[in-house]
Amino acid sequence: MSNYIVSTSPHFQSTSSTKTIMLDVIIALIPATIAMIVLYGIYPLFLMVLCVGSAVFGEWIYNVITKKPQSVGDLSAVVTGMILALNLPPVVPFYVPIVGGLFSIIIVKMLFGGIGKNFANPAITGRIFLMLCWTGIMTTFVVPNGFVEGTKSFFQHAVNINLGAVDGLTSATPLASVKASVESGAAPLAGYAMVSGWSTGNAYLDMFLGIIGGSAGEICSLAILVGGLYLVVRKVIDWKIPAIYIASTVIFTALFFCKSEYCGEYVYTYLFGGGLLFGAFFMATDYATSPKSTIAVVIYALLLGLLTVVFRKYSTMNEGVSFAILLMNIATPLLEKIAPKAFGTPKKTFKKIFAKKAKPEAEGGKNG
Amino acid sequence: MLKTFRHGIHPPANKITKDIPLKDFEISEMLYISLSQHIGAPAKCLVNVGDHVDEGQMIGEAGGFVSAPVFASVSGTVKGIVKLPTAIGGEADHIQIENDGLYTKALLEPLTQPTKEDVLKRVKDAGIVGMGGATFPTHVKLSPKDPIDTLIINAAECEPYITCDYRLLMEYPDKVLAGIKYLMLALDVKDAYIGIENNKKDAIELLLSKAPSDIHVVALKTKYPQGAEKQLIYAITKRVVPVGALPAAVGCVVNNTHTAFSVACAVEDGETLYKRAMTVSGKGVENKGNYFVRTGTTYQFIYDKCKGNVDEDVTRKVISGGPMMGFAQSSLKPATTKGSSSLLFLSEDEFGTNEPTQCINCGRCIKNCPMQLRPRDIEHCAEKKDFEGTFKNGVMNCIECGVCSYSCPARRPLVQAMKLSKKEIKVRGIK
Repeated sequence: MSNYIVSTSPHFQSTSSTKTIMLDVIIALIPATIAMIVLYGIYPLFLMVLCVGSAVFGEWIYNVITKKPQSVGDLSAVVTGMILALNLPPVVPFYVPIVGGLFSIIIVKMLFGGIGKNFANPAITGRIFLMLCWTGIMTTFVVPNGFVEGTKSFFQHAVNINLGAVDGLTSATPLASVKASVESGAAPLAGYAMVSGWSTGNAYLDMFLGIIGGSAGEICSLAILVGGLYLVVRKVIDWKIPAIYIASTVIFTALFFCKSEYCGEYVYTYLFGGGLLFGAFFMATDYATSPKSTIAVVIYALLLGLLTVVFRKYSTMNEGVSFAILLMNIATPLLEKIAPKAFGTPKKTFKKIFAKKAKPEAEGGKNG
Repeated sequence: MLKTFRHGIHPPANKITKDIPLKDFEISEMLYISLSQHIGAPAKCLVNVGDHVDEGQMIGEAGGFVSAPVFASVSGTVKGIVKLPTAIGGEADHIQIENDGLYTKALLEPLTQPTKEDVLKRVKDAGIVGMGGATFPTHVKLSPKDPIDTLIINAAECEPYITCDYRLLMEYPDKVLAGIKYLMLALDVKDAYIGIENNKKDAIELLLSKAPSDIHVVALKTKYPQGAEKQLIYAITKRVVPVGALPAAVGCVVNNTHTAFSVACAVEDGETLYKRAMTVSGKGVENKGNYFVRTGTTYQFIYDKCKGNVDEDVTRKVISGGPMMGFAQSSLKPATTKGSSSLLFLSEDEFGTNEPTQCINCGRCIKNCPMQLRPRDIEHCAEKKDFEGTFKNGVMNCIECGVCSYSCPARRPLVQAMKLSKKEIKVRGIK
């Protein structure tokens, strides 16, 4: 007689596994990666290879040293590496992504227990760490000059830290233009130099297509939306997080700038000119660091929007998405405490709460 | 808008045997009638070795109020009382009957124009239990303490593979409807609802054309676990059964399609419950189908008759019941009971492999749980042997439907943690 496999029910399992989920995220990141290559050439792809390589190596070596089962096969380190690379300015020196990848994986992810147990998004924490280490490098952005030109200056970028002197292409990001506009009172996009030969001549369209200064993978809103929608359709991410986050950013921007005559421009720039879309779809939705119940998700995403606008408007930084997400990541365990009760738990109405409170008093009265 | 409940999943339906009509299964030479075919006290054996029994004769009487009698499924001689493994684990006494091939019947008197009391008595005498698999004695369900205004017939059949209820609806709609009428009479209710998943459109249409005005046919969204009692009640009536309470608390009684069918057979034909419709399916057998199988037929006999030309090594997992909640068998020794709705012989590619990896915190178990529990948190507690913690997280409300384990990409043994926690909580007396 053959030996049958015996196990507890259920005997069916969905086809999605950790690996397939990570593969879906990688697929969703491809449009942004392609946009990055088209706009900046081969160099940022080289940075991405370094990021992914160091992230995967970091996880591998950590498991080897600590004698833990090897987990690089689940591809989550690849995702972290890719997200980190897309978060970097397109022309940082080669050692920046290596340090970033190792820090993200070893310090933020593995030391806290590996996948699913990290307290904050590894890629975002990595980016913030790099920003604190090399503030100048991490806030120097260049306007895309196309695949050919970008590739030509490959080796210059790899070693030269003083990018401003290299090709004169450094540019303020649209968010910086907004900040300057708020101070000077001038129209926000008037001072925004459309130096790139690729410019369509329309600042709004440029911003949507990514012909602006910014982080390598965050600039092309179109590509990010394509990838983000893929994740939503595949049900890899909770659609509520990006939807509410983006909506709340738009609403709070409008509220905060409602007195300005350029309110519309500000809203548009905050929406498409920075890291909002990328953060909303790919980083705020990180499983380990986002809450699960609907109410908690709504609070989480609303506060993300509020914090983003506050950081962007009132802090010394132009960008606020990464800090907003990091803060809300840390608040997630607290938000997780808001959990719905089991199906069938009697609902607490004000009447019942009042009745419960009133009872002991009545009894006390009797005893007295 | 189709009616449904919150959360849930969409496993592949795999209703391979959907279009295969019901037929009588071959009858074994030797049958083993379990005395524990229901939830509650086991039946008390009424026969001795060497006794002659007739088909349908009571051979074990109810061992209490929450219990049911059992019946000989063939005529023949009692050969002994043996201990055999049961499909749900553990062992039980079985009455071994040698089939004499004569099939002489000992039936009850058919009832015409029965009263409420007649029906209740007949349901009890015919040993009718919940045929969906839970096997709760039906006469107990029909004597609730709370006032009842709604009877719900569960025809959702949300488990993959199983098609026996669907076949009953398609081939014996009048019988099922008659059974529902008797159940309504027994419960004194004016309205009955049949809940059917929308993937069985032809059954919905057939019943709509035949059902009298007080039996309402309700199309439900195809979603698992649509047939779970509390979820079904919510889908149809929007009533929420309070935690820890029975459906009667909201004025509902839920019965399975097959139960209604068996009630009609018992009332109109005087048949006691000794055979039932059963689905045999899976890649491990060639002759898949829906069969009327006599209780006490061993799984080995069913396998031998259905195997056909399929190699024995193909079958890697044998499941009694559906793949979501059924029990994996270690051998083919158990015999069918009143609750055996299906027997699946699955090949390796039909079921999931269980190699757990670290939880990635995706929250699918939480988002899909029909009871709105947090399986992730419960498993975390169970892993640390913190059963107070699992209790606080509401593990006692778990219906073990398997949705969490099914959806887990890290293949965490979530249902296992739930079952273990429940057991430990009972043993330790945590309240």
